Amino acid sequence: MAAPIRILTAVPICDGHDSAINTINLEFIRHGIEVIYLGYHRSVGDIVRAAIQEDVRAIGISSYNGGHIEFFAEVVDLLRKRGASDIKVFGGGGGTITHEDAIAMRRKGVEQIFFAGTSLTEMTDYVRDNYGKARKKRSLSKSREIELARELTEIEGTYGKGKRPARKRKIANPQPPIRNSKVIGFTGPGGAGKTTLIDELVLRILLRQPTARIAILSHDPSVVGEGALLGDRATMINSQNDRVFMRSMATRGQAGGLSPATHDCLALLAQSNFDYVIIETVGTGQEAMPFQKNGIVDLTVLVMNPDYGSQLQLQKIVMLDLADVVVVNKSDLQRARTAHSEIEQRLEQNRRAQRLIDTVAKRHRDPGVDRLFDLISADRTR
Amino acid sequence: MSKLGRVVEAVEKYNRFVLDQVKRARTDEKFGRELITRWSETKAKTPVTHTPTGLPLPRLALPEIDEPGEIARYLFGEGLPGEFPFLNGAYREMYLEPVRENELGSYGRNGDKNEVAAEMSPANRSKVPTRPPRQSRPPEEPTRLFSGLMLAEDTNERFHYLTQHQRTHRLSTAFDGPTLYGIDSDADGVFGKIGEGGVAIDTVEDMVRLYDGFDLGSPNFSASMTISGPAPIIMAMYIAAAKSRFGSKVVPKLRGTIQADIFKEVQAQNETIFPIEASLRFLTDMVEFTTRKLPRWYPISISGYHIGEAGSTPVQQAAYTLSNGFAYAEMFAGRGIPVDQFGPRLSFFLDCGLDAEYIALARVSRRIWAIGMRDAYGAGPRGQLFKLHTQTSGRSLIAAEFKNNLTRTAAELMLAYMNATNSCHSNSADEPFTTPSEEWIRLAAHGQAILLEESGIFKHTMNMLSGSPGMKAVERAVEAGILDEFREIERLGGVLAAVEDRFQRSQIQNAAHRYEQQIYDGTRPIIGLNRYRNGTDDIPEVKLARTPRAKQQLQVDRLKKFKKKNVEKAKHALDKLVDVVERGENCFPALLDAVEVSSLGQITGRLQEVVGRFRPMV
Ligand code: B12
Repeated sequence: MAAPIRILTAVPICDGHDSAINTINLEFIRHGIEVIYLGYHRSVGDIVRAAIQEDVRAIGISSYNGGHIEFFAEVVDLLRKRGASDIKVFGGGGGTITHEDAIAMRRKGVEQIFFAGTSLTEMTDYVRDNYGKARKKRSLSKSREIELARELTEIEGTYGKGKRPARKRKIANPQPPIRNSKVIGFTGPGGAGKTTLIDELVLRILLRQPTARIAILSHDPSVVGEGALLGDRATMINSQNDRVFMRSMATRGQAGGLSPATHDCLALLAQSNFDYVIIETVGTGQEAMPFQKNGIVDLTVLVMNPDYGSQLQLQKIVMLDLADVVVVNKSDLQRARTAHSEIEQRLEQNRRAQRLIDTVAKRHRDPGVDRLFDLISADRTR
Repeated sequence: MSKLGRVVEAVEKYNRFVLDQVKRARTDEKFGRELITRWSETKAKTPVTHTPTGLPLPRLALPEIDEPGEIARYLFGEGLPGEFPFLNGAYREMYLEPVRENELGSYGRNGDKNEVAAEMSPANRSKVPTRPPRQSRPPEEPTRLFSGLMLAEDTNERFHYLTQHQRTHRLSTAFDGPTLYGIDSDADGVFGKIGEGGVAIDTVEDMVRLYDGFDLGSPNFSASMTISGPAPIIMAMYIAAAKSRFGSKVVPKLRGTIQADIFKEVQAQNETIFPIEASLRFLTDMVEFTTRKLPRWYPISISGYHIGEAGSTPVQQAAYTLSNGFAYAEMFAGRGIPVDQFGPRLSFFLDCGLDAEYIALARVSRRIWAIGMRDAYGAGPRGQLFKLHTQTSGRSLIAAEFKNNLTRTAAELMLAYMNATNSCHSNSADEPFTTPSEEWIRLAAHGQAILLEESGIFKHTMNMLSGSPGMKAVERAVEAGILDEFREIERLGGVLAAVEDRFQRSQIQNAAHRYEQQIYDGTRPIIGLNRYRNGTDDIPEVKLARTPRAKQQLQVDRLKKFKKKNVEKAKHALDKLVDVVERGENCFPALLDAVEVSSLGQITGRLQEVVGRFRPMV
């Protein structure tokens, strides 16, 4: 089976009309397409950066608040400037994009505009017909970022074909590692707030370490042969930054919180001159232990929600034995104090130097997140 | 239990109370007689009016019942227009023609009550409001056109043009994208959006230009501003602009509405700029200030319109709007603002589309609000009123054979007035394409006039179309649906918890997806699109109003000048603002100072440093 088509969708800056794109996203994923959704009110720069890093086949833009001729053209131009013109641009905006506008937009390099009244089937068919076939030979990549993005695609593609590479992939031309990456793995149940927590850490790294570069590998669940909505970028507002390389992956049927290709992708990122490589699993169950023992991950963080149920449940959570750091997020919830002491007790059984930190990631400048940042960056501040 | 749970209980309890009254009326003879007496008196006092053809009609129509139980069911369960629980209307008379002298009865002196309705509510993006004809004067031409284009002086010119023949000046302001998102015109990447879809406002100087030539303190003037995320900052600019022109004496006289509905922004309209809790706090700061210092101002318009337009079902729309309203009430009361101080300053804004629910959606909402506010919040009569502005559905208007949109809007208007809305805006037929052109605005305005003034449907008799068996069936089903939604929200821990859980968003998105699927699989007939299609797209001659680059540049230059002039003062004022915010005090007074010397974007930026940015939900 061919690897799923990957598309990025977004709504332009100063525009919050997301109803159409939400529907279209749902329709795409029902038809086996992986959609990286960047959200509404997004700048040209954010869109192009994300498209390049995610190495998508095309960008679908839904625009309603006017200025579409310029906005679409700016996206096309910036892609070209960055050497990524094999990423195509299409979109719609109901009746606000007239037939004349569409002609002008096509002249400027936009592939297709869908007018008001187009059926959802027509759009999915278009995507499958135009972006479903394997890419032709790609021109030489112009930047390390594009190269990295393409290598990740290649790794994912190999696994997508059901082939498990016999031995570890050789990285094409490994650059001499100037920086020694610190690889941090985040895992925990769904709804614990991992994404927000990571984004808050990223914010702190960007602010306090002016030259630090970060890679993020984030995961969302999907079933073999089906699509997925990869929406972390929409909420990770601080991570949409030129010093952050972010890649969203669907698990493509693999249980345990990661994708079959994760390990190789992570290995590649760890050798690609980032100060931090952050990996986030999907929401995991109690038995999950997503990170390999003695693997590439230097530090594992388990993010818990105080509402895990009874103390008995804690005994079953395997990661409580393995994690280096346990975070009780949402510690503003009523149950948080009980949770803290129950988990503390549970950790004492392990007789290991594990850390327990309380955070409220959604709160701006949360001191708990500051503590976690200090812990993570202890050996990194330059 | 959150307050919403108590609202559910209150409505259930009230419904049982009505049944008890019915039973009592049938068993307690004295009570039954009292009811019958009241009923006959009400009828006797109702003046009779004559239609142009000479047909005599009562100015208030009542069901033909004479049995005490049924009378009790009507009086307690529905209430006469203007009486608790307000199913038939928040006020009496509403759209009726003035009483002629020979018709004067004791029922319904012609109060000016619908004044409130006329003045309230920013139609989010509506263009053609018709104020219900006033009783004592000849009906006016439609007022309050939603406008905003290019720079402040361009919009000001448009405002003057729109109100040139009008005695009352009711302006409705649309802002451009950067303003809606609290961004300055000189920010990265927004140049092309300056003045598009609304007016560009960066500073208090723009605000002065925007309303130049209008007497902001006059009882005949009111301003409506359709903005939510940065609403407290814009409100402060408005007050500062008024003060700079008329002195501080003008402040208590200011009349108007600012939308400021944060919950619906997070749920549907996507213009939140600070994290939810911080946004709600700034909102409450503003409400606390305006309810004390600007007693005639409506500091919030609790809006379902955007929820409906984002694709929710009508029941979801009403349920989320009402529950948002109750959550605000809880929040304002929690701040210590007395319910009878803020209650009367709340207003509502609903969508009206073509689904059957709209036959009674607003009627039921009005009843639930009244019961909830009275019995769960202890509000007095003025705080129980669901003062409603309605806009016909923009989303129901489509590009294919767009002239059909006139018929759609006409049908929706009919439904809106059957629900006794206090004011209404009708969309133009060219809605799918662009900010409407004058030709289509005029037709939309005339649509309302034809319905209210030309036709005899609403002008002779209150309750003309209320109370049909079908309408009652819809009322019952809709009420049950809304209460179910309330229970679900309650189960999730109340409105705020549900919002943070993405509950409303995901419900709306699923409903929107279903709606689009129904269109394309044909189960939802759309004439000209999936039925009776003629195959040709007749797209109107669209005149696209684009802001010239030179104007956009002018806005940027002015802003830069303002910033340069105020560098030192701005720093000082913003430091002070930040300080107040950090200390957790009401920041509105500090905002009033800050807007004098700093721009919208500077203020937003500094506040975001302190409270963070809104993290969008997918
Ligand atoms: C729904 C709506 C809203 C809702 C949005 C809710 C939401 N979360 O999306 C609300 C009420 C909040 C809203 C607000 C505003 N709106 Co509005 N809105 C609309 C409306 C009625 C429908 C748009 C829609 O979603 N249609 C449903 C979709 C599914 O169908 P469609 O548009 O026909 O699109 C089809 C194709 O084009 C295609 N398609 C669309 N996008 C994409 C993308 C891709 C990748 C693909 C493949 C296909 C595709 O799919 C669809 C199915 O065939 C239009 C008018 C209209 N009738 O079209 C105005 C309209 C877009 N809004 C308008 C304006 C001005 C605003 C405001 C700026 C008003 C203001 N000043 O306050 C605000 C701004 C809101 C914001 N945050 O940006 C104007 C834009 C004018 C212009 N560009 O010249 C319009 C045209 C109305 C008007 N005539 O004034 N709005």
